[in-house]
Amino acid sequence: MPAGRDERARVRGAQRGSASDLEALFRMHWPRAFRAAYLVTHDAGAAEDIAQEAFLAAIRALDRFDRRRPFGPWLHRIAVNRAIDWARARRLRSEVELAESLPAPDAVGAPGDDVLAALARLSPEQRAVIVMRYLLELTPGEIAEALDLPRGTVNSRLRRGLDALGEEL
Amino acid sequence: MKRELECVEIPGEHEARERTWAVVQAAYAEREPVPHRSPLPRVAAVAVALAALGAVALSSPGRAVLDGIREVVGVERAQTALFSLPAPGSLLVASDAGIWVVQQDGSKRLLGAYREASWSPLGRFVVAVRANELAALEPDGKVRWTLARPGARSPAWTGTEIDTRIAYVDRTGIRVVAGDGTNDRLLVPGGRGPLAWRPGAGFVLAYAARGRVRVVDAETGELRWQAARPPGAATALEWSSDGRRLLVLSPHHVRVYDAAGNVVEQEDPSEGWPDVAATFRPHSHEAAVARVHGSQSTAYVLGGRTLFNGTGAFGDLAWSPDGRWLLVTWTTADQWVFVRADGKRIRAVSNVAEQFRSRSSPRVEGWCCAR
Repeated sequence: MPAGRDERARVRGAQRGSASDLEALFRMHWPRAFRAAYLVTHDAGAAEDIAQEAFLAAIRALDRFDRRRPFGPWLHRIAVNRAIDWARARRLRSEVELAESLPAPDAVGAPGDDVLAALARLSPEQRAVIVMRYLLELTPGEIAEALDLPRGTVNSRLRRGLDALGEEL
Repeated sequence: MKRELECVEIPGEHEARERTWAVVQAAYAEREPVPHRSPLPRVAAVAVALAALGAVALSSPGRAVLDGIREVVGVERAQTALFSLPAPGSLLVASDAGIWVVQQDGSKRLLGAYREASWSPLGRFVVAVRANELAALEPDGKVRWTLARPGARSPAWTGTEIDTRIAYVDRTGIRVVAGDGTNDRLLVPGGRGPLAWRPGAGFVLAYAARGRVRVVDAETGELRWQAARPPGAATALEWSSDGRRLLVLSPHHVRVYDAAGNVVEQEDPSEGWPDVAATFRPHSHEAAVARVHGSQSTAYVLGGRTLFNGTGAFGDLAWSPDGRWLLVTWTTADQWVFVRADGKRIRAVSNVAEQFRSRSSPRVEGWCCAR
């Protein structure tokens, strides 16, 4: 996926010290990074940390960044991978299972709560591929590369995830 | 599906965005942009290199040169995975994925998306930081406690079995908190570190201040001693395990101070090559230093013998707790090289970044005590 001309110019500007170009990149890409992290972790605090860390990592790597590559998918990939790690670590720490910590379907009312509850019943890895495919609009090949998975695994996770969501929704 | 995912309401999204923007803006302001190079010389250099490689590849002597290149950038017979550590203890590693604990048998555990970490004095806990949080964890990832601290970094833990302190830096300065997460207080307003606890009795902290290195009693605030520090930004401070020597590293200078603040050893390479890491060997006053000089790097004992040479850049150094092995991270080769203290034996592991799910070279944060 080639980087758009505007985005390339913003990255070049940020590399040369333009705070306004950095802010444009931030406003352009933070919302999706944050949303993607939230949909995987279901924890707003963790999603904030993860999206912030992704941007700080981007700043640290800014001088080495290849402007021909698209900035957004690179940033989102960092965010989603960290979100998966966070969700796995939470599972390992034997905290309350995500599904149990979410409000019961009949108690919810905020927009999207039913989607959130349905997502919570998937594994972090399944949530990640759903989020990358349908929120971040990456192709299965790009998801496979980002998550370092065989393409077939991505396709099967997508299929199983969608089946499970279909049943819940 | 896309519309449904975009419609999920996230509590506090606006506030989170503005908080994050403030942090990102501050980090960007602290960054020093690298002078931009014209792409032309790089293209020319690549073309010249390719032409040269093409030429040598045509002949059998050329084949030997290529084999030689493969050999020098990385240890050729490196293991493809980290199967075990050569000495007792556990490593703490920071990668793009977060903080990992590596046990002696090579098993790894990701503790979470933290960016820096440090062992507790006996290796039973880990203190870790991420952008807005200081956390004490068990090596299996269980969180003991957390403190919300925007901009927290450089955590360090000291003490005994019954009483410990953690020092760290945040936006207000250098702070100290008890090992159970209580009594958090500001010790050095505006202090930025780096910092290091003196091992042994009491809570004595060394930190780099403007032009000086200062050593203070963290309980009373009393200044024990201070001395001029080497020019340039200090990149690391470390005490010898007996607390009688303090090592201060800046990019082009190494200084070792005694317990009264006198310089007892120093090295200022006249060629201007950077020293990227330095660390005391446990139970001794012998320091290992990693220096990058041109296209080569060397790990050597300060004022003494060479331990290991390689092409490209070295990153971190870490001694095993028993002082018998030195871990050298070889960033250019994406390898970890364990060098025996006598320099007569090495063990290497390749594909390190991939093993820690990282794009950049993972950092070794500490190799701690056999428990």
